[in-house]
Amino acid sequence: MEDREEFLKQMENLNVPDINTSGHQHSVKMAIMNSERSAALGVWLVIVPCYFLLCVLMYYYFHVHVGWFGSMFKLMSGLEKTPYIDFMGPLVLFVLPLICVVINVLAILHVHVQKPDEHRSKARELSFTIKIKPFNILLIAISLIIVFIFINYVITENISIKN
Amino acid sequence: MKLNWFTRKGIIYWPVSIIGWVIFSIAVIIAIYAFIIIDLRSHSVSDTLINFVFNFLIIGLCYTIIAWFTEGRSNTDTTKS
Repeated sequence: MEDREEFLKQMENLNVPDINTSGHQHSVKMAIMNSERSAALGVWLVIVPCYFLLCVLMYYYFHVHVGWFGSMFKLMSGLEKTPYIDFMGPLVLFVLPLICVVINVLAILHVHVQKPDEHRSKARELSFTIKIKPFNILLIAISLIIVFIFINYVITENISIKN
Repeated sequence: MKLNWFTRKGIIYWPVSIIGWVIFSIAVIIAIYAFIIIDLRSHSVSDTLINFVFNFLIIGLCYTIIAWFTEGRSNTDTTKS
C-alpha cells in the first residue's frame, strides 16, 4: 500500500517535457536535382560561351587586338557558314546557358502546395523556397547574362539589317 | 536503371568502370585526332590552339553530359528547414 502511494506521488511529481509545437512545422524540403551535380555540369555548359564572350570583350571593349581574340570570331562566323554545323552558334550562346539555368534552378528551388486546412487557411497555398547556394546562383546569373547578350545581339542585328 | 560508370571530383568526372574508361578513352582519342587534324590545316601555333580549345571544350562538354547521366549517385539532395 505504501509502495502504491509512493508510486502515485512520484507520478504526480513527474516533470512533463515542454513540447515546442513550432518544431512540427519543419519539413524536409527536397530539391529535384542535386545542387553540386548541377553546378558541375553548369560550369561545362557556360564555359564555352564565356570563353567566346571573353574574346569579344577583350577585342572590342579593351582593344586588345591580339590574333587569338580576332580568330575566335572567324571561327564562330566560319561555323555559321559551314553546312550541318551552322546551328553551333545559337546552340553555344543560347541553348547551353538555358539548360544551365534550368538544371541549377531545379537544384535550388523547392515548390510546395499547401492543401486547404481548417485550422490555418481555407485557400490553397503555393510556397517557393530558394536554397542559398552561391555557386548555383552565380551560374544562373552568368547564364542569364549570356542569354540576354545573345538576344540583344540578335535583335540589334535584325534591326540593323532591316534598316 | 542506375549506372555507376563515373564518379565526380569537383567538376571533373572520372571513370570507375570498364565502360567509363572506354568512354574516357574515346574522348581522349577524339581530342588527339582533332588536334592533329587542326594542326595539319593551321598555319601557326596560335591558329592551332584557338581552334583546338574550342573543340576541346565541346568534347569535354559531351563527355561531361554522358558522365552526368551515368554517375552512380542519388540525384536528389534534401534540406530541413
